[in-house]
Amino acid sequence: MICFVEGEININNSPELRKAFDGLITKGEKKVIVDFSAVSYIDSSGLATLIEMFQRLKQKGGKLRFTNMDQKIRNVFEITKLHKLFEIFDTQEAALNDF
Amino acid sequence: MLISEKLPSRFDAVAQFVTGVIDKLKPLGLSMEELFDVKLCLDEALINAVKHGNKFSPELQIEARIEVSAGILTIEVKDQGEGYDFTKIPNPTEEDNLHRNSGRGVFLIKKHMDKVQHFDCGRIIKMIKFVKTPGLKG
Repeated sequence: MICFVEGEININNSPELRKAFDGLITKGEKKVIVDFSAVSYIDSSGLATLIEMFQRLKQKGGKLRFTNMDQKIRNVFEITKLHKLFEIFDTQEAALNDF
Repeated sequence: MLISEKLPSRFDAVAQFVTGVIDKLKPLGLSMEELFDVKLCLDEALINAVKHGNKFSPELQIEARIEVSAGILTIEVKDQGEGYDFTKIPNPTEEDNLHRNSGRGVFLIKKHMDKVQHFDCGRIIKMIKFVKTPGLKG
């Protein structure tokens, strides 16, 4: 399953992202790719939501991958060392091949 | 340029204010990267003030002040909460803390600003960033 997130991932819309992800979990999705190519901004609340998504999917035996981040977004993950927690790929193809 | 405002302790008020600040900063000529950094740090400081400082109390306000002079952008955020020991914030990049879903706000501010200071038992955070302001007049 490839999900496209658009705009900002922040404290005000994190609940919406969480709800969408809940839907995927309910459907039993186990391999989820989140494409960041249209994401322009992320704050610590957004990071927290992604961590929660990662943990919930992992509990179900699933895997989460991120792709196509622009450098500014990628920097936020690297500064917080979350690139060690999440699997981040340059392209969807690379993420798919890794599953 | 000076922007100064008092905000209620609500996330929607913060979002509206931050959007307005960034709209006012854009004509000054800051780069996209600088605007991203300023937006992130202002967001994090205000969210902390709402959530941890004022604990969403409708009776407590947040004061935000943004000043831009040639090459220097200063942000000051003040809450009316009980204060906290800002020297005891855990490092979110340590292995044991990576899975935590909180505790990255101040860390992100320190990594995206050139100088960060705390005053009044943590109720005030002051952030300074050296920026390019070719569009700033006077």
